[in-house]
Amino acid sequence: MGTEEGRKESFYPSDEEIEKWMSSAFDMAKDALQSGEVPVGCLLVYDHEVVGKGRNEVNETKNATRHAEMVALDQLLDWCRRGSLDVSSVCERAALYVTVEPCIMCAAALRLLNIPAVVYGCRNERFGGCGSVLDVSSADLPETGTTFKCVSGHRAEEAVEMLKTFYKQENPNAPKTKTRKD
Amino acid sequence: MEPQTKRWKGSVCDADSWVAYPVLSDKQSQDVELIEAFAAPIVDKKETSRLLRELSGLYPLNGLQHIKRVRAVREKGSPHPLEVLVCLVSDAPDLKAVSIDSLLPSGGVRRGGLGEPFVVKVPARPALTRPQFELASKHWPTSFHEDKQVTVALRGELFSPLQKARMHTYMTAALTAARAATELGMEAVGAAVVDPATERIVAVGHDCRGDHPLHHAVMVCIDLVAQSQGGGCYSFDRYPACRFTPPTPDTSQSAAGVAASSQPYICTGYDLYVTREPCVMCAMALVHSRIGRVFYGTSSADGAVGTKYKIHSQKDLNHRFEVYKGVLGKQCEALNGPGSHIKREIDN
Ligand SMILES: [Zn+2]
Ligand SMILES: [Zn+2]
Repeated sequence: MGTEEGRKESFYPSDEEIEKWMSSAFDMAKDALQSGEVPVGCLLVYDHEVVGKGRNEVNETKNATRHAEMVALDQLLDWCRRGSLDVSSVCERAALYVTVEPCIMCAAALRLLNIPAVVYGCRNERFGGCGSVLDVSSADLPETGTTFKCVSGHRAEEAVEMLKTFYKQENPNAPKTKTRKD
Repeated sequence: MEPQTKRWKGSVCDADSWVAYPVLSDKQSQDVELIEAFAAPIVDKKETSRLLRELSGLYPLNGLQHIKRVRAVREKGSPHPLEVLVCLVSDAPDLKAVSIDSLLPSGGVRRGGLGEPFVVKVPARPALTRPQFELASKHWPTSFHEDKQVTVALRGELFSPLQKARMHTYMTAALTAARAATELGMEAVGAAVVDPATERIVAVGHDCRGDHPLHHAVMVCIDLVAQSQGGGCYSFDRYPACRFTPPTPDTSQSAAGVAASSQPYICTGYDLYVTREPCVMCAMALVHSRIGRVFYGTSSADGAVGTKYKIHSQKDLNHRFEVYKGVLGKQCEALNGPGSHIKREIDN
């Protein structure tokens, strides 16, 4: 369990934590790229433990909302259930590490669960919900959970490069399969 | 128009008790923005076409193609019948001593036939709707390429009685699901996904937040639609009011059916009926799912397709859809009535 002085307001990942967990997120993204999947790595960390880990599952579920973040949030909920832990007290001290800025939907989902901190690599120009298209992370939405803090730009160029590589290998080979990349 | 007696004489059709209005983009619903310009009277009418030609050469009014350069003077007994736009105030060369001579440097335009300039306000953008056009025209005449469907929709007359009767049925299914959610102690929100090509309800769902904080009615419906196509990732079996219709061979021939089976954008061509305006998460989930149209009963405080955002018409997003509100508005509103609030407080 977390330290006593770490109240909700002061909860924030340290630089070492950011370095460490983003490195894992990037490893996940690289693995995904090598197996021809959307190169996005995403993990939820609570009390120095990974409690949710997601990859995009849109194609296999035919559910366009199965972004890596949503999958990771489901794992966090299962983890709480298995350990009989209170979801809100876990969420209040959890952080999301993801190589690409969460989209508008995922940003709203993170708010609804009161996740206080999101660390991401590059911007998501098409769907970004932490400032690129809309700023859901800090907007005044009293009925949509709580705002969260963002740390952005961590190894951004590398994240962009992976996405570019993915698009390049996708486009010429698969003109008709319309694989979701977001 | 139907005769008044039929419309008002009672319950010929319950669908007469509500009106669906479109939720337009900010561009379509915003106030008319005005910019200042110099106009001058045309004292000699015979000079009009020459003045127009020469003024357009000197001051082309770029980006204001909707503005008519000349207007007739409305006041009776005016000494001159026409007025012409000379230039925008921002384009005028010398703002300290504005006269017709200072606005028309020698050589460009012969000032013969023009009176002294005065400031007018003209609409900065073309009107997109009839209300905008009517407001804009009060300031200066503009052209208007009317979208007839928008005009009819703004009058609440887009849907025929037959269409309204169908919409009534679909929203009733969503309302029934919402009441089932209330029984279970969840939020009173219900939704139905419909294939308008086959008039078939594909899925009905309700709020299941008691199990999973992100299982809003819309998210439940999106997964149920995925299940109807052989996908999906949750089980709602213990909730009889959450259900889907598997596609039959003939329905899979419909445009939406074909689109759904060939790609993961599973809501392509489908309509969603939901008792209250979706939140940001649900609205963006509908963008990702390529929903066709959304109909909701009543607005919500953080709603994202009208109230706080208009995600359905958000620039930069790769999919847009039409949104209508007010379908069975009173019944949907009643779901959030005092009774349901008390219940929620007890739960908390
Ligand atoms: Zn997302
Ligand atoms: Zn929602």
